[in-house]
Amino acid sequence: MSQTSVVNKDTKDNVCNEEVYSQLFRANSKTVFNYIYYKYGNEEKAYDAVQEAFTRLWENCSKVTPPKAKAYVYTIANNLYLNVLKAEKVRLKYADRVNTTNHETPEYVMEENEFKKKLDTALNGLPENQRTTFLLNRIDGKKYAEIAEMEGVSVKAIEKRMHLALKSLRDQIDGI
Amino acid sequence: MQENYLAKWLNNELSEEELAAFKKSDEYASYQRIIETSDTLEAPDFDTETALEALRNKQSLTDTKVIRLKPFRRFLKVAAAVVVIMIGSYFYLNTLEETFTTQYAQNEEITLPDASKLILNADSEVSFSAKKWDKKRKVALKGEAFFKVAKGKKFTVETDQGTVAVLGTQFNVENRKGIFEVTCFEGLVSVTYQDKETKLPAGSSFMVIDGKIIPTEKTNTALPSWINKESTFKSIPLKYVFEELQRQHAITVQTQNIDLNKLFTGTFSNTDVTLALQSISVPSQLKYKSEGNKVLFYAESAP
Repeated sequence: MSQTSVVNKDTKDNVCNEEVYSQLFRANSKTVFNYIYYKYGNEEKAYDAVQEAFTRLWENCSKVTPPKAKAYVYTIANNLYLNVLKAEKVRLKYADRVNTTNHETPEYVMEENEFKKKLDTALNGLPENQRTTFLLNRIDGKKYAEIAEMEGVSVKAIEKRMHLALKSLRDQIDGI
Repeated sequence: MQENYLAKWLNNELSEEELAAFKKSDEYASYQRIIETSDTLEAPDFDTETALEALRNKQSLTDTKVIRLKPFRRFLKVAAAVVVIMIGSYFYLNTLEETFTTQYAQNEEITLPDASKLILNADSEVSFSAKKWDKKRKVALKGEAFFKVAKGKKFTVETDQGTVAVLGTQFNVENRKGIFEVTCFEGLVSVTYQDKETKLPAGSSFMVIDGKIIPTEKTNTALPSWINKESTFKSIPLKYVFEELQRQHAITVQTQNIDLNKLFTGTFSNTDVTLALQSISVPSQLKYKSEGNKVLFYAESAP
């Protein structure tokens, strides 16, 4: 499998180059992990997906050019659990807002926690592709175009998912 | 409001009017809060370096295992070897020389590729390359042979003692242990012995016995005597006469009390053993006893 990779292993600008490969890993592994986690809510499987996707990338390093590598790992990770894994509950943490907590009244804090719980529930109630798109955008700061590339769909489709996701969240939380 | 305006809003792509209208709407506060709260969300921890380390360990294990055999490449090796052997043997067979050998008491007439002829005396060997004959008329000789060379390019006889070169003639070459003799019967023969060239006109001989060049008389015969089933000697040490006797009659000669360096002049028959034995013993004043294939010569005066 990696037989052909031996031929041009050391040329720069090639995924077979150790440095280029590590760089790709550092830049994309976390997002791959999150991407799979947002979809299925399973940390272990998300970690495995990262390992599997990058192992495949290494094995096919001579066939995948660096610009294509990103889309390649997302495709591998995505296909890995397609129709295999059942989505579990996604558990996300909330960062502490250090500066503001001191001045907030207990009522406000309670109300805030209540809201977070509602948001959690609402997020888990979203269709998997809407949730993934929404979280990639909000948590990972991914642009619609990037998400579109990962999912292999148009930017417009991502905008649609984003719109619907936000709309559903509000409907759920406001109890409409 | 345009399509997917919520997505556009998040991306700051709404026009000023759209944004103002959206901000006035009832749901704006809700959306604003959802986004604000969402933005404090964090994904589970993921240590990139640890994951990369784990991946490398896994790869170093699998990398060494990935050995794909190329059976076709192995086949190619065998095929290449076969081709080399075939080409090699073709050239070897092509350059292979033709060799003719005579045993004791045997003569053989050989026609060379250009119709030149040579007659091999007993216990002799001649070899030449028929393929290269057009370019080089060259034969290698061990023993004795008579040559009738057709006119043409230089004709060379190589022996371990000297080289004989001619254009077209009849000559005899004797290349035996201790004796190297060339006799020219027709034309002109060039003999190179120890890097010295000697030109032999018709009827003359060049003779080396035991490394010494011996002056010879002119011969009047048209052919060497052995062609006519006789062996002729002129002042030749007896040991060489006995050796020739052994070759011509396929017998073993033993001697007793005889000076083998004594010179012999005479002729013996190559067909009649008894006659040949007498031809040697009588003029040399020797006696002989014959028993099967063995002949013992001894001095008359001996007891």
